Amino acid sequence: MKEFTPKLVCFSCKFGWGYLNGNGYAKKLKNFIPVMCSGKVDTTHIMNAFKEGADGVLILGCPDKECHFQTGNYQARKRVLLLRKALKEFGIDPGRLKIEFNMDPEGARIPAVIEEMKKEIKSLGPLSPVV
Amino acid sequence: MAEKPKVAIYWLASCAGCDEAIVDLNEAILTVADAVDIVLWPVALDFKYESIRKMKKGEITLAILHGSVRNSEQEEMAKLLREKSQLVLAFGACACFGGTAGLANFRSKEDIFNWVYQDAPTVVNPNKTRPQTETRVNGNKLTLPEFFERVHPLDDIINVDYYLPGCPPPAELIASAVFAVLEDKLPPRGATLAPSKPLCDACPRNQSKPQKIEISEFKRIHEVEAKDDLCFLAQGILCIGPAIRSGCGETCIRTNVPCRGCFGPVDGVDDAGAKFISGLASLISAESEDDSKKAVDEIADLAGYCYRFSLPSASLKRKKKKES
Repeated sequence: MKEFTPKLVCFSCKFGWGYLNGNGYAKKLKNFIPVMCSGKVDTTHIMNAFKEGADGVLILGCPDKECHFQTGNYQARKRVLLLRKALKEFGIDPGRLKIEFNMDPEGARIPAVIEEMKKEIKSLGPLSPVV
Repeated sequence: MAEKPKVAIYWLASCAGCDEAIVDLNEAILTVADAVDIVLWPVALDFKYESIRKMKKGEITLAILHGSVRNSEQEEMAKLLREKSQLVLAFGACACFGGTAGLANFRSKEDIFNWVYQDAPTVVNPNKTRPQTETRVNGNKLTLPEFFERVHPLDDIINVDYYLPGCPPPAELIASAVFAVLEDKLPPRGATLAPSKPLCDACPRNQSKPQKIEISEFKRIHEVEAKDDLCFLAQGILCIGPAIRSGCGETCIRTNVPCRGCFGPVDGVDDAGAKFISGLASLISAESEDDSKKAVDEIADLAGYCYRFSLPSASLKRKKKKES
């Protein structure tokens, strides 16, 4: 039986994560999307990720009071909390959508953060195909 | 004498409210009836499917189809009318987006059958009978349409030329649409025959909107006495108006009830519910994780509210049935 390798889509704020590294991680990681601000991530982007086959979606935003655009990270977090409620009704485990507030200028921790979420998704299993 | 254009009006999985709306044209309907030849209208006239099957391709000028598609008879009639018609109008929220009965898509067909034929409190069915597509009784074959896995909006099944949303569409828009067809003054195919701006633009309460809407506590419309001159969102009451197309005449708002989205998304948007969830996040006045969670937890049924008329056309869980 083929082992399940979760497909994860990661939207990552350029200001908080990896900017000192010139966002080089964008090229090294699969399905890694640097954005201007986590607040830019729309519900439709997340839903499309699930529709296109993602087993999980991770959003990397900046810590409290550190958002370059003041409140973008808060809007992203509220959006995630709301969307989780809706995802549950669609039969998608809310644990498949996660947002992390932190800062990592070198971006060195990004692959580890992604791997950690992949482990969590692995225990949830693959997302059944969207019908 | 030139032949009058033929018009078919047909109900798929429909409540017939859309037929009512056409009748609500009142005197205007006489002008329409004079100008066209209605060849199918089950609620009002006694034509048979056979008379449609005998027609040539494109013989019908306009087929007005309302209701969603949930069984094989509806699929068959939608395809038949598509073949015989030059123009197909998806009429009403069910045909356009799947409609309220589309909320059934939150459950599987198996769940639904188990409840309806077994588990519901008033059901007595000791033999666990289920409807079959074919049964023999006294040597005769009886058939029932096949019940599909999910509810489909019309354009999942056939190509649709125009859309007229609403539950039901209001008389003015119906009249404009029909006359536009008769006078050949239609926009490009695929258009929705309603204004493109969102409801807030036409809402009688839009002047009352504060500069910044800040919802710290959500209230449900039936739990409070809502002010009838203040934006619902400013009162902490969910109103999906910002994400919904205008053109309905704001009947709900004027009766002091918030919008529930029967006109569907504005131009360029496929999933109004998703967009509203995005926008709603910014209206919640909370920054810390705890405050955000507290506010969000107060909302009773977010998905049901946001997809009340459009679940079958939500971006998640959508699979087209047609071959082309």
